[in-house]
Amino acid sequence: MVSEYLALLRRELKSLLREKTILFAIVVQLFIASFSSIILIGIMAFYDPTSIAATTKVNVKVGVVGDTSSPMLEYLRDNKLTVKRFLNLSDAEAGFQSGQVDTVMFIPEGRAGVVNMKLILPELDAKKTLILMVLNEPLKRYENYLRQVNGVQLNYISSGGKPYTTYEFLYSVIIPVLMFLPSLIAGSIVIDTVSEELEDKTFDTLMSAPVSLGQVLAAKISAAVITASIQMVMWVGLLRLNSIIVQKPTLVILASVIIAATLSVGTAIIALYFKDRERAQFVYSIALVATIGGSYFLSPSPFNLIARLAAGNPDVGVLEVALYTVPLIMISLLFINMSGKLTLMRR
Amino acid sequence: MKNILTISKREVARLRARFSGRSRAVVLAIIALTIISSGVVYHQDLVISKGLYIVGVSTHGPSIEDKRFTVVELEPETGYNLLRQGTIDLYIEGNEIVWRDDDRSQHAAGALRQYLGKQELFMISNNYDLNRAFPLRVEIRYFRASTGGTGAQTETSLLDILESTERTAQPTGTSPSRGSEVPSISRPASRGLDETGTTKAAPPSKPVSPYMLPLTEAPDESLLEVASNTDAAVRQQLAELRDSRPLPKFRAEFVSEDDVIIPSLMKPPIPLAQVIVAFLYVVPIFFVSLFFTSSFTEEKINRKLVVLLSAPVTPLEIILGKMLPYLAYSALVIVIITIALGGNVLLGLAIFTPVMLFIFSIYLAVALTYRTFKDQTFFSVFAMSAITIYLIGPTMFIGVSDLSHISPLTLAVEMYRGESFHFSEYLLATTPLYLVFLLATFLGTRVFNEEYLMGFRPLPTKVAEALYLAMDKNHLNISVLLLSMFFVPVVFIVQLVSIVFASNLPSPFTLWFLLVISVIIEEIAKSTGVVVLWQNNVTKSSKDVFIFSFLSALGFLLGEKLLVFLALGVLSESIFVSAVFGAGLLIAPLVLHVVSTSVVCLTTARLGIKYYPLAIAAGTIIHTLYNLYVIGVVW
Repeated sequence: MVSEYLALLRRELKSLLREKTILFAIVVQLFIASFSSIILIGIMAFYDPTSIAATTKVNVKVGVVGDTSSPMLEYLRDNKLTVKRFLNLSDAEAGFQSGQVDTVMFIPEGRAGVVNMKLILPELDAKKTLILMVLNEPLKRYENYLRQVNGVQLNYISSGGKPYTTYEFLYSVIIPVLMFLPSLIAGSIVIDTVSEELEDKTFDTLMSAPVSLGQVLAAKISAAVITASIQMVMWVGLLRLNSIIVQKPTLVILASVIIAATLSVGTAIIALYFKDRERAQFVYSIALVATIGGSYFLSPSPFNLIARLAAGNPDVGVLEVALYTVPLIMISLLFINMSGKLTLMRR
Repeated sequence: MKNILTISKREVARLRARFSGRSRAVVLAIIALTIISSGVVYHQDLVISKGLYIVGVSTHGPSIEDKRFTVVELEPETGYNLLRQGTIDLYIEGNEIVWRDDDRSQHAAGALRQYLGKQELFMISNNYDLNRAFPLRVEIRYFRASTGGTGAQTETSLLDILESTERTAQPTGTSPSRGSEVPSISRPASRGLDETGTTKAAPPSKPVSPYMLPLTEAPDESLLEVASNTDAAVRQQLAELRDSRPLPKFRAEFVSEDDVIIPSLMKPPIPLAQVIVAFLYVVPIFFVSLFFTSSFTEEKINRKLVVLLSAPVTPLEIILGKMLPYLAYSALVIVIITIALGGNVLLGLAIFTPVMLFIFSIYLAVALTYRTFKDQTFFSVFAMSAITIYLIGPTMFIGVSDLSHISPLTLAVEMYRGESFHFSEYLLATTPLYLVFLLATFLGTRVFNEEYLMGFRPLPTKVAEALYLAMDKNHLNISVLLLSMFFVPVVFIVQLVSIVFASNLPSPFTLWFLLVISVIIEEIAKSTGVVVLWQNNVTKSSKDVFIFSFLSALGFLLGEKLLVFLALGVLSESIFVSAVFGAGLLIAPLVLHVVSTSVVCLTTARLGIKYYPLAIAAGTIIHTLYNLYVIGVVW
């Protein structure tokens, strides 16, 4: 019984490798990884403006008019911005026109009560957002200084600790996505291999050999899950090469494999029901959206589980991963029940 | 025209037949389930990092409502122990945050600071009047940098702009302290945990407890002064801050930046909004692309293709006929989503139609080229990823760099923000897409014969065949020239996708990688047509090869310059652009292109097709050296 299963498994794996399926899958995932890193750069740029200077090699030059002895200038310089003082407005205008400065800041005299600062930005330039982001930090410091003058004290002003936005995005979105992509592809592979046999009517031929339907289908599902697992291991390694550490890698991979298996069994049911690749893939893609949406209500949700395991949270571990075997067992039972009937059903 | 409609109707009938009876019910049920679950999820308070940080709080510590933090109440001794062990990430005693030196703890500290800082803002807005709590109002004024020498004296000066704002509010209370020293701002109330366990800290200088409940008494009326026009902006932004959710509500999210900024209330625009908009438009189109590709594959397999080809319909009619139902569906999707998001329908259609056409042309190419389902699946997914990167990648730079105008999605974001864009920007983003559609459709009609469609050959062979079929045997010169010209948008798109890829590499390698890859892509594009002709024994001598190389180079250069002409109006100062499209006089680039292309083609002609990669390498070296010389790195 087992030897037939293994023989079938070997056949499936060979077929997958021969058709360069793995290669394609890897290239696709590399693409998606690059895509995620672009988004990461975008987020970093917006939430961590000090990194902007490094990535875009742009130095924002600020022209200052008005109260040029204001501490605001110190804050600007602290943020590595070039500050140019102008004695009057027409000088500032000339400086702005000639490109000496990118923006002009008018600081009014007086530091008590409301201070209405004016900021002149270039109208047609795409750099508006960039300038505002880079000025955000010094402006906030000046605001707190003015608050102090007014007698208002804050304790939790910014700076301190590491920028958390990229950290959260990395562990809560990117790493789970990278772990789940192989599962999605595994589901697609199962649909392809099952519907291929159905359409080529080779299932009947297979049945005449001393193998059972269950073994054939099990082999197909296992082959897909194995290829997914290999990719997951690769991803953990690749991330480490990029200095991104996935904590508790065994548990992360185990959880992802369980989810991959659940998806693969599910798609096998879909493929057996619809019998042709076109409809099965279509239904799979739609059902996937429903499943991802629905999975949010699990506690912890798949994304959240991977995120917290990868980040090294001590409060998730083997127990939570074990919980995920429940849906797998349920859908496997359903599958075993239905597979005989489904294969014999008419299209 | 009538033929096209007939074929469209046939396609729709085919789709109907696929889903009949029980399967139709199942599919509809799943679709309904999907829409319902998406709707429910959207209306939840989506927290992406639920429970990511574990925080210990002492009995009188602040209350933390943010779901990202799992909060445990602990006595100080237990708290510090657990912190040291790593069981918790932070410990808050009183209003001091204590963290470890490792990454996890520091990130948690950053997140908690931000959260507590936000709570503090709410607190001071309750306890103090607006003018004390938010004293700094920054008004943004836009000033058009004059383009020098136009002579018109009607431009407003800086003075006009500054004086046009309302009078500022009167200062109140204490006279401004204009001493030369800066009053010291209290050190941040957090400290690190060093090895000996003693904490090094600077206690806050003023005993204000931000975690105490806001005062219930009404603020002192006498402190309220003449309302400044900026107060309204403060209130509005405070309300937005209270109301903020991780998922953008599209209308509010895309409202253009306020003209008055309050630094502590400033919200950075979430780039994820671009991603979500992209997915909303593009995913429904991807769903049906599957049926589009299988429409062709099925007929290949059923052998119905032969029948179709013998009917009195042209390949163009077949292709357009099959595409039409899907185009109509996609247009409908675009309209519905644009209305749902509150955008301008006409603009939405103008922006997303070329996107739609582009997607379908890629899928047409996949459908016509591939025979097996497995290949199709993966190239479809490959295409989907590349398209998504091409559309979304540049939008990450909106407001930061002009590179963002490469993607039509930037136009969509600007539309939703109520900003207008120039027609030249529209052209830059959409022309490559329209051109690719025309190219793909044209190629599709030329390869639409049984031998090509049913043939089982490796990809490069199929591409070469397709190109050979595309060329008009009676007008080879023009064909070669036009082919290279039409390759330019394809080259453009591939180079852009490679930029995204290259961003993965460590910094010094990125530019080198890009320089070399861009050149390789160009050389391949220019030489393919000529090499294909040589392979099919159309060229009779080296002289022929050289002439075709010259024409190919010329066509490519013309296409390139046209694109640069378009781009110059929009893309101003990006080192990537100058690296990729080196502008300049026409003669030098033409000579370069002719030289490099002829080297590639003549080498291949001389040595054989197996040496094509080597030939490309040779051409690449020449071209790269030239580029380096132009940029000023060499000599």
